[in-house]
Amino acid sequence: MSLKGKWYALYLRREPASLALLFGLLVVFFAFVTGLSRIYFAQQQALAVRWSERGTANLKDHNYVPAVDELRAALRYSRDNQGYQLSLAEALIGLDRTSEAEAYLVNLWEEQPENGRVNLDLARVAVQEGLTRRALRYYHNAIYANWPEGDQVAQIRDARIELIQYLLRIKSTAQAQSELISLQVYLGDDTAYQKLLGDMFSQTGDYDHALSAYRLSLSAKPRDAATLAGAGNAAFQLGRYELATRYLRQNLALDSSNKNSRDQLHMADLVLRMDPFRAQIPTADRYKAVVNAFQIASKRLDACPVAASYASSTDPKKDLSQEWSDLERKVTPAGLRRDPDLANTTMDLVFTIERQANIWCGSPSDTDRALLLIARLHEGS
Amino acid sequence: MSTSSSSHARTVLEEGQEAPSAHEFAFTPQALLRSVFREDRLFIILAVFIGIFSGLAVVCFRFIIEWVRIYALGSGVVLSPLRMLLAPSLAGLVIAVLAIHVFPQSRGSGVNQTKAALYIFNGYISFRTAIGKFIMSSLAIGAGHSLGPEDPSLQIGAGLASAIGRRMHLSRDRMRLIGPIGAAAGLAAAFNAPISAVLFVIEEVIGRWTAGILGSVVLSAVSSVVVMRWFLGSESLFRIPPVEIRRPSELVAYCVLGIIGGFASVAFATGIGALRPRFRDLPRWTQYFQPAIAGLLIGCIAWLGAPQVMGAGYEYMDEAMHGHFTWQFLAILAGLKIVATLLSFVSGTPGGMFAPTLFIGAMLGAAVGGAEHTLLPHMHFSPGTYALVGMGVLFAGFLRAPMTSVFMVLEVSGNYSIIVPVLVANTFAYLIARTLQPTSVFDELTRQDGLELPSMEEQREENILRVEDAMQSPKGWWLESDKLVEDAARLVADGEKSEVLVHLRDHGWCALTKAEIDDLMATGDGLDTLAEVAHDKHIPYLHPDHSLDMALRYVDRWPLVPVVNRANMRKLEGVISERDVLNRYRDFEGV
Repeated sequence: MSLKGKWYALYLRREPASLALLFGLLVVFFAFVTGLSRIYFAQQQALAVRWSERGTANLKDHNYVPAVDELRAALRYSRDNQGYQLSLAEALIGLDRTSEAEAYLVNLWEEQPENGRVNLDLARVAVQEGLTRRALRYYHNAIYANWPEGDQVAQIRDARIELIQYLLRIKSTAQAQSELISLQVYLGDDTAYQKLLGDMFSQTGDYDHALSAYRLSLSAKPRDAATLAGAGNAAFQLGRYELATRYLRQNLALDSSNKNSRDQLHMADLVLRMDPFRAQIPTADRYKAVVNAFQIASKRLDACPVAASYASSTDPKKDLSQEWSDLERKVTPAGLRRDPDLANTTMDLVFTIERQANIWCGSPSDTDRALLLIARLHEGS
Repeated sequence: MSTSSSSHARTVLEEGQEAPSAHEFAFTPQALLRSVFREDRLFIILAVFIGIFSGLAVVCFRFIIEWVRIYALGSGVVLSPLRMLLAPSLAGLVIAVLAIHVFPQSRGSGVNQTKAALYIFNGYISFRTAIGKFIMSSLAIGAGHSLGPEDPSLQIGAGLASAIGRRMHLSRDRMRLIGPIGAAAGLAAAFNAPISAVLFVIEEVIGRWTAGILGSVVLSAVSSVVVMRWFLGSESLFRIPPVEIRRPSELVAYCVLGIIGGFASVAFATGIGALRPRFRDLPRWTQYFQPAIAGLLIGCIAWLGAPQVMGAGYEYMDEAMHGHFTWQFLAILAGLKIVATLLSFVSGTPGGMFAPTLFIGAMLGAAVGGAEHTLLPHMHFSPGTYALVGMGVLFAGFLRAPMTSVFMVLEVSGNYSIIVPVLVANTFAYLIARTLQPTSVFDELTRQDGLELPSMEEQREENILRVEDAMQSPKGWWLESDKLVEDAARLVADGEKSEVLVHLRDHGWCALTKAEIDDLMATGDGLDTLAEVAHDKHIPYLHPDHSLDMALRYVDRWPLVPVVNRANMRKLEGVISERDVLNRYRDFEGV
């Protein structure tokens, strides 16, 4: 073999052998790093779980400051864990650090735009930032989104309740009312939610639905003081004073310190006592009530001269004072017996006087307020 | 270089390689093995091996850094004051002892050492240096020194590659190149960004593009990234928020960022350039304590409210990108990080400058963006975009790698809409940094170490002399091939010209010397055409844009070389001789 041939032979022996050795080393190194990575990731996972458990516990207890640090630590070991990110965002919202929370939430939203919890948290951030349109959009997203963890129906219900409470806070009662009607479907017979529904309907001014909700709640839990108060208030606002007095009395029997119920009961009693148009009342009592109302209106007119000069509705040339004077002599039990239509005429004048006095002079007495309520009850205004 | 004749065609062989004889191509197992293990092919195979080894080493490196951090500083994000002060100090003491007594070659970032291996030590990087870099850097970064893992990864990769090259008994030329191949693999794995790593190594270490090197560098970088992703997943270093640039007028804001980033880069580089020699000139015994004192001071910064400056700080860059800090705090963090990194680096603690540079850039970018948004509330502000652009700005201004800086941001963000602000801001930063500090930080460090390595930046900026700078007018130097020999004799009769160029009809050129013409005239061939007498005297030609270095290779063999137009080969732009080239070089050096 020539010198060159020997060199090649040597070269061939050397290179494959070296490559084989390198390959062997590579396999050993790879196996070593594989083992190392198992230990590493097991430790990282354990640390992530440990910190997240602490953080979640603190989040539940509303200890937001340690929760933020602990959840951040958890995320350090499991950077893409969306549950941790969401919890951290919620802790940050708890600390009013909305921009930081939003940064996490926006990232999550981009990955899971259909996630209800993410949308709800984004809505909360928007609420804190005063961005109403964005808040409403995210709330609606949350209501129609998926809730992968837990009871989906319950979470949607809670999201809708939160939305309604937000709408009530921003005085968007019409939207709140429509959301409340949708919410009814999800509530079933749960007394607490029916009571909440009643409260929220009351806040929108929809006392009819409110009373229904309270009644549903009371049918399962008849001795709940707050529900009775709510039902009494709803009945009162609807002008169903007899029903109101019943609920309000029951409420005061359970909770005598409720001043609102006491005032409403007093007013309802007055209305029932002073109302000449109430059903099944003896004629004599009705005339007596008319005369009494006329006298109360007289005092109100004296106390409020501005209202006295207001033009009469029946004769524009006369003012209320003159009209009252024209009727003064006629409005007696005897006069009313002679002219049954006089009761209506008198009460019309009384209602006009009370309304005008209320407009111009305000601060009516209880009896004046009762007359106003009677006016609203029978005249629809 | 173009040649006009097929006779010039030849097989291109690598340096030191012999052309195989015919029998070597015979299809035998031995020939096949010989073909596979030819050094250039072996080099490609080795590039893959180096990539895999480097990737595995970098994965280990990251594990160790993280373990050191957990055991030294604790696993939570709220660090105890005692750990903050003690961990970097004690680590500094250990590192000093190791650096002085066990691994003296493992100080610094690693980029210059790799360059030195390429240009001075024939590709030699001791395995011990790589081990030392691995141990000391992981200890320093894990314990909270303000340094990054990228440059050490680069040197670890280069060290592994050098060891493999030595084992495979590669030729000297291959050995020189194998270090950068390992460097690219190490950097790619550390960054999870193969393109940036390849570009950085080409731009800053090798300094030239050739297909052979590029193929190996790319292969090793890709192999290492594949390995790294196998173990650590494919997620990038940061969670990149949506990149938004809504109006072209926002570019003005990025210009401001580029300008501020340029000045910050200069301040950072000046600090390193000025403080490092002072620290090194201190008595030798102080070197045992310098890393520890630096660590203690960094611990104090952390204890006073900025623990973010400890370590590489990737998680805080991520937070800055997502708007978790106010712009005022971001600006403070950028300033403190410069101080902390200066302390760590000038004290001789081994570790990289890449991560701190990115940290400072991200903080500065988000701070400038936030401040601009405060001043001009109508302007759209996306902290992530500003932070990303800021990273590129510092990369361009401080590390002076403008191309890598652009591709790094693109690769990290995965969003091409960011390219315009990055280009704009990086250009400003690079120009300001280059104007205020002509020597880049890597070149400055090299000179402080007493080495004279080629500066890639200076090479890039160097004026290249071209053929057009030296050639002279072709008038009177050439004839068409249908002219007679006596015409050529008349041309050289004045004695000034010793050669005549002849333009052949087939676009080629040939040359006749005065002596050849005189011989032809003497033998009575004066009435022959030049085509008849000169057809076998082909010479090569040059183009005006060829470098003068290239021309020098030809004027030595052919006294007069034609310079022809690239679009019209018949058009002679000029002629060039050895004298022209030398005169031009002499004038240039005189300038």
